[in-house]
Amino acid sequence: MSNYIPTIGLEVHVEIKSKSKLFSSSANSYGMATNTSVNVIDLGYPGTLPTLNKEIIRQGIRACKVLNCKINRKMHFDRKNYFYPDNPKNYQITQNRTPIGTDGYVEIEVDGIKKKIGISDIHIEEDTCKSAHRGNVSLLDFNRAGVPLIEIVTTPSISNDKEAMAYLTKLKELLFYANISDCKMEEGSMRCDANVSISKNENLGTRTETKNISSIRNVGLAIQKEIERQEKVLENNGKINEETRRFDDKLEETLLMRVKETGNDYRYFIEPDIPYLILTDEFIDDALKTLPLLPDELREKYSKVGLSSLQIEKLINNRSLNDYFLGLLDYETNYVTAVNLLLSDISSYLNKHNKVITDTHLSYEKLVSVVKALEDKEISNKNVKDLIDSLMENDLTLKELKKEFKIENITDDSFIKEVITKVIENNPDSVNDYKSGHDRALKYLMGQVMKETKGAVNPKLASDMLENELNK
Amino acid sequence: MSKYLDLSIKEIHELLVKKEITPLDLVDEALSIIEENKDLNAFITINDKVREEAENLGEVDSDNLFFGIPIAVKDNIVTKDLRTTCASHILDNFIPIYDATVVKKIKDNKMLIIGKANMDEFAMGSTSETSYFGAPINPHDKKRVSGGSSGGSAVSVAGGLVPLALGTDTGGSIRQPSSYTGIVGMKPTYGRISRYGLVAFASSLDQIGPMTRTVYENASLLNLLVGEDEFDLTSVNREKEDFTRLIGKDIKGMKIALPKYFISDIVDKEVRDRIKEVINYLQENGAVVDIIDMRYLDTAVNLYQIIAMAEASSNLARFDGVRYGNRASDVNNIDEMYAKTRGEGFGNEVKRRIMIGSYILSGENAKVYYDKALMVRDDITKEFNRIFKDYDLIIGPTTTRVAPILGVTKDDPHKAFMDDVLVIPVNMAGLPAMSVPVGKNSENLPIGLHIIGKAFDEATIYRLASYIEEVF
Repeated sequence: MSNYIPTIGLEVHVEIKSKSKLFSSSANSYGMATNTSVNVIDLGYPGTLPTLNKEIIRQGIRACKVLNCKINRKMHFDRKNYFYPDNPKNYQITQNRTPIGTDGYVEIEVDGIKKKIGISDIHIEEDTCKSAHRGNVSLLDFNRAGVPLIEIVTTPSISNDKEAMAYLTKLKELLFYANISDCKMEEGSMRCDANVSISKNENLGTRTETKNISSIRNVGLAIQKEIERQEKVLENNGKINEETRRFDDKLEETLLMRVKETGNDYRYFIEPDIPYLILTDEFIDDALKTLPLLPDELREKYSKVGLSSLQIEKLINNRSLNDYFLGLLDYETNYVTAVNLLLSDISSYLNKHNKVITDTHLSYEKLVSVVKALEDKEISNKNVKDLIDSLMENDLTLKELKKEFKIENITDDSFIKEVITKVIENNPDSVNDYKSGHDRALKYLMGQVMKETKGAVNPKLASDMLENELNK
Repeated sequence: MSKYLDLSIKEIHELLVKKEITPLDLVDEALSIIEENKDLNAFITINDKVREEAENLGEVDSDNLFFGIPIAVKDNIVTKDLRTTCASHILDNFIPIYDATVVKKIKDNKMLIIGKANMDEFAMGSTSETSYFGAPINPHDKKRVSGGSSGGSAVSVAGGLVPLALGTDTGGSIRQPSSYTGIVGMKPTYGRISRYGLVAFASSLDQIGPMTRTVYENASLLNLLVGEDEFDLTSVNREKEDFTRLIGKDIKGMKIALPKYFISDIVDKEVRDRIKEVINYLQENGAVVDIIDMRYLDTAVNLYQIIAMAEASSNLARFDGVRYGNRASDVNNIDEMYAKTRGEGFGNEVKRRIMIGSYILSGENAKVYYDKALMVRDDITKEFNRIFKDYDLIIGPTTTRVAPILGVTKDDPHKAFMDDVLVIPVNMAGLPAMSVPVGKNSENLPIGLHIIGKAFDEATIYRLASYIEEVF
């Protein structure tokens, strides 16, 4: 049975981030009270005409760039005509003949092998209402009507569920980093339909479309299950029908929604209410000027300043920390130490208080001073742990904080010497270990010194003194 | 009983400034004339707040010629809080929640909307007989049609009910009824006047325009209606100009083209003879009038049927009973609701056009008919431009005959289109054109001269029209 070759194509809709909707000035924001972000245009009121939010065209240009698409410099919108209650004008304004981008790709890596997933086109279109069904009535929320979407259509170049998942993960990362979309599948700002067919030879089999799959994991599962289902049908001499299916995540299988009627006829024609758009070099350059660094560019940059790949991936997974760290690169400091702080004590603090780093008082200057103090062993990691709340929550400098927390006072040689003598007396085995060349023993003894002083001595000073004493 | 409304706008304005009359006097006079002439069926809805609005108009603005002047607005232009039906059952209880841009301009200029003028249902027709509210009647002969689709607007001016009206022109719907009723009607260049708030019939052809008793009043009203509108992307930004500025100038050296087709035997002999008289007069007074060959004019009606109906089928899709307008009761599901709502709501001509339009856009037909029509449409535009290289204006009769008897075209939709055969080419090219009265035929029925100008050259049309108006 496994000699079938699957062919998979994905259609992904993402909601574009913008202040207002695609064709009206209503706010584009998720989670507002029902039907509060609505005007006459969103309602498809008689006499209304679409306006055009140019920022969304800019977003489209950015999407073309990050997905390596050719930009269509002369484009128009089209009407897709179909009756449905969630479709206020009973036509959707979309791009059929002149999508903003064509012929792109996304590079993925699966099991160490790189592959380009082709993108046939990306186009801009408006979202529909959200409908809810209660008994025999249907309710419509027009907040979503006219929200800008881009639809990204791959070529049938995906071979299996793993590639599909890798593609979606990469796509999400790219669009998220380019500030094009939140790409939250759970909130519906990223939605995926999977076209799957299988065949034993080069002729493609009949494909099915599985709609609105709710997570990347489920896309993988849905594809896997759909391939299995099709194989079973064909092995039993059955026939695959061109049909629309949905993925049931409880049953973990795809279920029939409707059989496609021959040639779904959307009666496309050019939207006469929106003139052709000619995208000039200036307009395109201007849109791309604000494009932030993309993940692969960040990876390269971070590895140059010495971060480990684990640190890099952790940073990229945390957008706000990443953006903060990117700003830190303008300062001279030990970036590895800084990242360690960001990913440990600072992250714990942020998680505990459910904050993002930009909501705190941790200025770059302050962070740089903490890194320097750690490097110079003026403070210990334990000191940082003790100080973290204050570092994040007020504007005092490290110096002021040290004073307040009485960290800086123990540079008193005689006191330190007293402690060291005591530690040496109490740990004869470790002293012997050190003397016979085990460096680790020094660390242990130093730890004891810190323990005795509750971490309050100057670590560099104490360490130097301990070594002196042991070498006597 | 008419006391003031027969005076010119200038004279009325002087009386208002001198406080010899008030806007309320004008409104009361108009209301009583409308009441006396109820049989003309010019209005669908009378603005029952208009007296109150007249009283609250404030101090007379001596710089505003139109202060306090009653105006009729075609019932496909939305007026806030004033019923707007498009002469259709489906909207016969529809109260808009916003004002069209032109309505805003009218209100800003302190004109008083006396009511909503009768018309063909959704502007689809040539005689206004498709109105759900019955046809308006031609005041020159009550057995005859007013023309259409802006029949009520034409009748309200021609019958002396109001001095001013707004009409809309998709395929001659301002000029043809103006010709049939002997008034001055201008279809400005596509994009001159915002379409925001005009219930769309064929978006790429629709244009609002002024309908008046005199050329000067027409040009003056146009001054107030034009301008780019952020709510209509097809509206055009032009430097402000005074359309009356060439009125009264002579026509020496003016170069005028008369396409042979316009005086071919499709045109009634009496109409043709009158046009020839006009030509003689123009030549005697120093204008050059050349009879020329012009291609594609005879294709315009076919193009119109394809383009206008295709667009209409999509534009009228929004009338589904979901958000506004009438909704059919006793239905079991959404498809039934659509079918019954639209089946009951639309009249036969509208249904016919929606069906033809849907057919034209379906599947391969879109290429065979629609795309090809757009190409020929480009050719018509090029042909006009070719002629306008050598000529300032193109003239001909507005219609092939005088107003027909009520009912004669009702059962022959194709014949009805032939009423518009001379006016439709202009919409295809988006050019400005006007009908100006040039006297009456032997049955005392008005004949109109059609004057077509270069894009955005309405001023030259007014120049010729005013010269002719002096004599005919």
